[in-house]
Amino acid sequence: MVFLRLVKKIKVAALVAAVLLHGPLFAAQMESAHDLMSKMAKASRELSYQGLFTYEYRGNLTSVKLSHGVRDGQIYERIQHMDGAQRNALSRSDNVDCLRTGDMLLRGSAYKINDQSYARLEDFYEFHIKGEGRIANRRVVMVHVLPKDKHRYGYVVAIDKESGLLLQSVLMSHTGKPLERFQFVDISIGGSLADLGFDLEASNFDDVALDQSNCIDNNRQITTSTSSWSTQWLPPGFVMASHKIADTDGQESMMFTDGLAVFSVFIDIDPGRSLPAIDANLGATVAVLTKADINNQEYAICVVGEIPRATANQIASAISMSPSLPSSPSPSISPSP
Amino acid sequence: MSDHKERLDQSLSALMDGEATDIELHRLLKEVSEGSELRDKWKRYHMVSSAIKGDAAIASIDYSAAISAAIDEEPAHRQGGLAVFAGSAGRFAIAASVALVAVFGVQQLNSPLDSIAPVSEFAGVEQVNEENTGPAIQFPSGFQPIINARTVSAGGNNKNSQFVTPVIEVRQQAERNYSEAQLRAYMNDVMAKHSNHAALNSNQGMLPFARLNETEAAAKKE
Repeated sequence: MVFLRLVKKIKVAALVAAVLLHGPLFAAQMESAHDLMSKMAKASRELSYQGLFTYEYRGNLTSVKLSHGVRDGQIYERIQHMDGAQRNALSRSDNVDCLRTGDMLLRGSAYKINDQSYARLEDFYEFHIKGEGRIANRRVVMVHVLPKDKHRYGYVVAIDKESGLLLQSVLMSHTGKPLERFQFVDISIGGSLADLGFDLEASNFDDVALDQSNCIDNNRQITTSTSSWSTQWLPPGFVMASHKIADTDGQESMMFTDGLAVFSVFIDIDPGRSLPAIDANLGATVAVLTKADINNQEYAICVVGEIPRATANQIASAISMSPSLPSSPSPSISPSP
Repeated sequence: MSDHKERLDQSLSALMDGEATDIELHRLLKEVSEGSELRDKWKRYHMVSSAIKGDAAIASIDYSAAISAAIDEEPAHRQGGLAVFAGSAGRFAIAASVALVAVFGVQQLNSPLDSIAPVSEFAGVEQVNEENTGPAIQFPSGFQPIINARTVSAGGNNKNSQFVTPVIEVRQQAERNYSEAQLRAYMNDVMAKHSNHAALNSNQGMLPFARLNETEAAAKKE
């Protein structure tokens, strides 16, 4: 009898000890997982690197060469598809310090939605370190990023231990199925622009428009132009990261992010009723196009992003024209003072 | 002697209440093994206790003699000091492992992705085709508009392209003012613009450009 009691006591003591010992450890882990993510956001912008990565979805594989160089505060990027038709893309940003909404959210800063509320990445995702691994012949830390609601997907990411660069990112559905995967197979970190082959393309870069838009200002907000459209519902945590007013084709676009997931909203005037309502899929990307008839004008509203279809549908059905156009700001972003 | 007996009685009732110390327990065990008087008392205490608790079967049968005899017949196990130590160490190990399982169990609960090997099960992720009951219509290239959305969904395996092309479902079919080419161009355009957005405004750098397939990339250059 007493022996049993003794065993019980030992069990309880061991359990308590294990929990006590493990508790602080666990907390430290959580913190460092988040630190890793913000380190990653910084590294992928500020380091120079060149590598080959694969992109995979639904059994398809493409390989892509990526070069990323930083000089005099300018970021040069080149992406080249290594299979299929010749495809290249160049981009240049003149300010390495220009932080965009996604960057900032991932770096752990709170995005100011309005004076009362802030959007924080950790309010919508859990981060768990899941040991170490090896990717592109480098030691990586595996991190599971779990969504806290059904409005976004989760990720399995691998972050280079040494540099903090993202070497693998797998988008996971709610049932735990991978939807798409980026993974580096080879990467070299460091090197000048010449090493990265950018100087050969100097003239090409002259044609690339400098991207200076949508940097976060000191007030932790982006300054967006006012829109005649408003989003009556957004998945929690998503904030507007850019907004383009109607271009020559009459298309207005907005982009939203929660720091990891991104979706875009396009609004077209469709006078010829030439577009039907559609659902489309490309890999992990969904597109939902709905039609709206406002004041005898036919509009096509399209939501595109790497988000669950139900979320995209809900967003699309909640977009409406602001009643007091055009001076009212979009409710998702309060105007900068 | 009566003093000793009284102390034994106290120890016994302490044991019944689960409050006996190790020394008391040792003394009781020693005494019980030597004389039957205390053992009978112990038995009576238990019967009283059972009766108070309302346990139905108050057995007056004494199994102890039979059990004792059976134990005597068993071949003796060696029980050295080391074995005793190993026994208690084993118990501790079990307790510790129970605790460990509990801790791991909690972690498992926290992370449903744990059980997944992301690398292994890539091929067939189908999200759209839950209602796919009919054959896929093959279009020459690019997007594949489905004219009768309810029943047909394109599998997306276009024989003319090495890439799986996006699947498009047309939800309503009121008046058909659109052409496939138009629809394709529009979808290509928005997907390309979205990738551009994502590359600029998220932390993924130019990774989203990898999502563009050939037709979309071509559309983007226009």
